[in-house]
Amino acid sequence: MFGWEFPPHISGGLGTACFGLTKGLAKNNVEVIFVMPRASGDEDQTMVKIISAGEVEIDPRHSEFFQQNHNVAFVEIKSKLVPYIGLDDYYNVINQIESDVFEKNNSDKRKFFFSGTYGENLIEEVEHYAIVAAELAKNQNFDIIHAHDWLTYKAGIIAKKVSGKPLILHIHATEYDRSGENNLNEYVFNIEREGMMAADAVCAVSDLTRKIVIEKYGIPEEKVFTLHNAIEPFNKEIKKEKFVREKIVTFLGRVTFQKGPDYFVETAKKILEKDDNVRFVLAGDGDMMTHVIKRVAELGISDKFHFTGFLHGEEISKMFGMSDVYVMPSISEPFGISPLEAISAHVPVVISKQSGVAEVLQYAMKVDFWDIDAMADAIYGILHYQALSSFFATKGKEDIDNLKWEKTALKLIDIYKKFV
Amino acid sequence: MHSVCFHFQISQPYRLRTYRFFDINENHHYFDDFQNNYITRRLAERCYLPANKMLLDLIHKYGDKFCVSFSMAGSSLKLFQEYCPEVIDSFKKLIDTGRVEITGNTFTHSLAALNNKTTFLEQIKLQEKFLDETFGVSPTSFCNTEIIYSDEIGEWIYEAGYKLALTEGAKHILGWKKPGFIYCNPYQTDLKLLLRSYRLCDDITLRFGDKNWDMYPMTAEKMIGFLRQTPEESPFINLYLDYETIGEYHTSETGIFDFFYSLFSQLCQSDEFSLIRPSDVLDMDMPASTMHAPWAISCSGEEKDTNEWLGNDLQQEAFQQLFKLETLYNESENEDAKLNWLRLQSADHFNYMGTKWFPQQTVLRNFEVYQSPYQAFINYMNVLNDVKLQLQKS
Repeated sequence: MFGWEFPPHISGGLGTACFGLTKGLAKNNVEVIFVMPRASGDEDQTMVKIISAGEVEIDPRHSEFFQQNHNVAFVEIKSKLVPYIGLDDYYNVINQIESDVFEKNNSDKRKFFFSGTYGENLIEEVEHYAIVAAELAKNQNFDIIHAHDWLTYKAGIIAKKVSGKPLILHIHATEYDRSGENNLNEYVFNIEREGMMAADAVCAVSDLTRKIVIEKYGIPEEKVFTLHNAIEPFNKEIKKEKFVREKIVTFLGRVTFQKGPDYFVETAKKILEKDDNVRFVLAGDGDMMTHVIKRVAELGISDKFHFTGFLHGEEISKMFGMSDVYVMPSISEPFGISPLEAISAHVPVVISKQSGVAEVLQYAMKVDFWDIDAMADAIYGILHYQALSSFFATKGKEDIDNLKWEKTALKLIDIYKKFV
Repeated sequence: MHSVCFHFQISQPYRLRTYRFFDINENHHYFDDFQNNYITRRLAERCYLPANKMLLDLIHKYGDKFCVSFSMAGSSLKLFQEYCPEVIDSFKKLIDTGRVEITGNTFTHSLAALNNKTTFLEQIKLQEKFLDETFGVSPTSFCNTEIIYSDEIGEWIYEAGYKLALTEGAKHILGWKKPGFIYCNPYQTDLKLLLRSYRLCDDITLRFGDKNWDMYPMTAEKMIGFLRQTPEESPFINLYLDYETIGEYHTSETGIFDFFYSLFSQLCQSDEFSLIRPSDVLDMDMPASTMHAPWAISCSGEEKDTNEWLGNDLQQEAFQQLFKLETLYNESENEDAKLNWLRLQSADHFNYMGTKWFPQQTVLRNFEVYQSPYQAFINYMNVLNDVKLQLQKS
């Protein structure tokens, strides 16, 4: 399995999902080798074997070949997005490796460095990661290749080419979700599309995403499956603790276009006009932060609207402990795990209909992300009509109990079985 | 010979518009005029007008052999007055023949019987007044909202002056007893009960047009066959149906009109059956037995209980909050607000908040108003809060 992140060091839902899925597979007796760019060593390896790509030795001549192509192109075009060789070149290299054109010389082997983050060398790391994948595909013993999100699709394709094993792609988000129709990054889009075309099966985390894969990427629908995310049972009880007398409405997530933070701000304004006894918290960081802060000031609600910046583990629990409503106004959310965490913490949720998680939740308010009136009304209803919030707080557990990773894993195994 | 009592129920609510919290205390118009107009007219054209015409034809053809009864919530009649007055006229024509009985009912299809006596009696009184003004009739038998009934409710109905009530032949209440007899309230034995033969009703509402039914298609002859299967010693067959069954639940293309016309004609011509109205029973036989209903029963679902309207915490909460305003209602002089409070008692509003069918909505409503029970609840509570303020103000 190829994935860019794995708990505890994660930046979003992807790592959490990978963890849950591998655990669910392990419980159903499927052995998983998880290849990530840079393992920190503190990953939970009881259920899964983790390989850190940075630790894998590569025959230098393969990588030199890559490096060369890479550098030449870089100099010529001076753009980060274009310099990478296409798939055909990959296959050339692979074919050469396979036909043993390169002489083997163990003493010269070396490793790539991976930051494992989403920094400015991301594209380069994606390429290096693919080379590592080729190496692993030759040496490791496995039956299925399973790659999570575009960063690992190249690795997946190469591994399939080298090993001849079936490739399953797992779509946690598409470029359409991240950037919207008009701002597509073509480089990423193309990797996604090539990957999906090459894959034997494509798993999408929701019907919503499945539809995008079929309609926007032109993938034949018979090979696209919906595989809803699940949630790990919540072991620790979150303490309900509040430091202000007002009700608290929380947005928690990246402050980016995709997550719709500006709708949260407009909604806050609507509610504050009628009800002074509420505070709004925007927890997270992202490229829309300045825009959002400006808008809050413009609307004159800064005294009731708070920014926390990015929150980590324990802080998130604390935030849920304080919240009376959790809002996820995402414009396009392939799945969206955090409402499930909110529900686990007995916080009622208002989510946009344009989210995959809406497909699996019964005990949640669902509104269109653009319908600020409806969103405000939903939040107001939960804050003011006690029966509704306690109904969600108590019944929500039923939804959560229905979402077990073992169940998702079983569905995934059914998909695997089509190919092995 | 079997006595067959056909009773049609009409209850269309004043549907609420999307009423946001910021409308509270700003805007006192709660109703979706467009929807109400559209649905009322649609029902009039598909069901009420053509079905009334069919009944009138049957009366002209079979005279005294044919009769039928109705219960219609006053709020529905108000919708007709507002959007489709010709429906009122066509009912007047039916009533003028003397072959059509209108039973007592609540004024706004209210669930008041499940909460308290005074509001329930008020609802009955308002409905009587309204029926008198509209049709010049004063009912003698009673059909509560969704035929909801219990021993206690029965006593209230008797107190309101009725000697006969229609309710469900609920199996869990009847036990070994059969619905085809006249029963009476155990504490008020002067209140006779006519029980619905729900299986036979389901044969029409559910089986008609059901292509998966092994005896498809349903015909008048088959239905007569089913009626004939009723044991000889059990004299009454009571069929209470939503009037919308004719033409709306089953559209005219399905042949539902022909089915009913043929069914009624055969019943009129047969010497095995005679059609009756509820009030015909008043001077007839003595009750065969008492029927003990310690808990409220209704015509809802398989369970015949009241969970469709009061099954979850949201419905309970809305229901409690609603009837908390009774004192305000009694003290207020704001007639609009008072009327709106009565309208908010309609069973339909509570039905929209139901989660009984989770995780899958297996019952599709004819006119889906809300996208989720929660939206229904919030919208209702918003309106209720404004009504409260308006009642307080006066």
